[in-house]
Amino acid sequence: MMRKNCPHEKEIRELIEDGHWPLAALPELRAHVGECRTCSDLALVAGVFQNARIETMAAAKLASPGVLLWRAQLRRRNAAVERLTRPLLGAQIFALAVTLLAGLGFMGFEARHGLAWLNWLEQIPQSVGPLWDNLFSASVTSSGWAWMVLVAGLATLLLLGGVAIYKATDGQERIGRP
Amino acid sequence: MAPIEKRTRMSWESALPRSLAGGALDRSAAGTTDPAMDSDAFAVFYERSARPLWAYLVRVSSDPALADDLMQESFVRFLCAAGAPSLYTMGETAARLYLFRIATNLLRDHWRRPRAASIEEIPEEFFAGRDSAAHSDSQIMLGPALRRMNPRERQLLWLAYAEGYSHREIAKVTGLAATSIRLLLFRARRKIAGFLRGRASHVGRES
Repeated sequence: MMRKNCPHEKEIRELIEDGHWPLAALPELRAHVGECRTCSDLALVAGVFQNARIETMAAAKLASPGVLLWRAQLRRRNAAVERLTRPLLGAQIFALAVTLLAGLGFMGFEARHGLAWLNWLEQIPQSVGPLWDNLFSASVTSSGWAWMVLVAGLATLLLLGGVAIYKATDGQERIGRP
Repeated sequence: MAPIEKRTRMSWESALPRSLAGGALDRSAAGTTDPAMDSDAFAVFYERSARPLWAYLVRVSSDPALADDLMQESFVRFLCAAGAPSLYTMGETAARLYLFRIATNLLRDHWRRPRAASIEEIPEEFFAGRDSAAHSDSQIMLGPALRRMNPRERQLLWLAYAEGYSHREIAKVTGLAATSIRLLLFRARRKIAGFLRGRASHVGRES
């Protein structure tokens, strides 16, 4: 399709945008629009679209601008919090990696120097076994005092563990909340 | 268009540490966006821009509910955008153009999501019967004609003949090359003019 320029296009368009078409147009221009295909298309399309714009704008039901401002502020703040927590996560991963590397280094060092500490590890069951036997027998015989101590210790451990897990997850939830 | 009065009021960003201000303090320093677009300035801009934007979205998408959603999302993104033109330094026209660009991108994202990979590949049946805008004179004429155009043509026609944007401004909004806008628009105009004339004669015969 070949596009044909018409010198009157701009003039007609300005008249339509100002709302002066066709009443305020010169008779020669109106006669030209009747003959020129490009200009008649322009006049028809622009006129219909201008009317449609006015009618459609009147039908708009707008939300409060305050709500949009509030949503934008919330989104910006969340993005900022997310940006802030990203380096913390990176630091945690870095710390874990360093710890693992240090542990592996230590293991390697010990393995190279004869695993002397394994002898001590082998002695642990022998030293703990009699102690456990004594505790168990004492708990049975000495009116349940040792049992109470054991149960209280375990309960304390469970309680502290629960509190620690709660604190950790609560902190994570607060950071990650949208 | 009357310029928006610049006001200096303490914004929420200034009450936060720099790291928590969402980059707003950095943007203020860079001068790319308003130092603190307070609620009054935004309300004025919203009042002037929301209706044209909604009209554009509803005519291009033929879906008033979608137009509502996308209009709100466009404003929120405009307020959050680091590169948005400042109302005070670059003027309301540039800001509105940027807003239309956001809305156009959101429309394109919406169309890409459900079924088609490109805006051109969306079947016209998808839009048929979805337009529940007011049944006015222009709607009786324009509605059926617009439904026969593809979404890209609707965008170009609306921006050019309803909003009165120049080819360069349309290129900024749609992301197309300014040189191709002229030809695309000419073809779309000729096509819809044919539909409108056919529609007018059909309505004339019926009445």
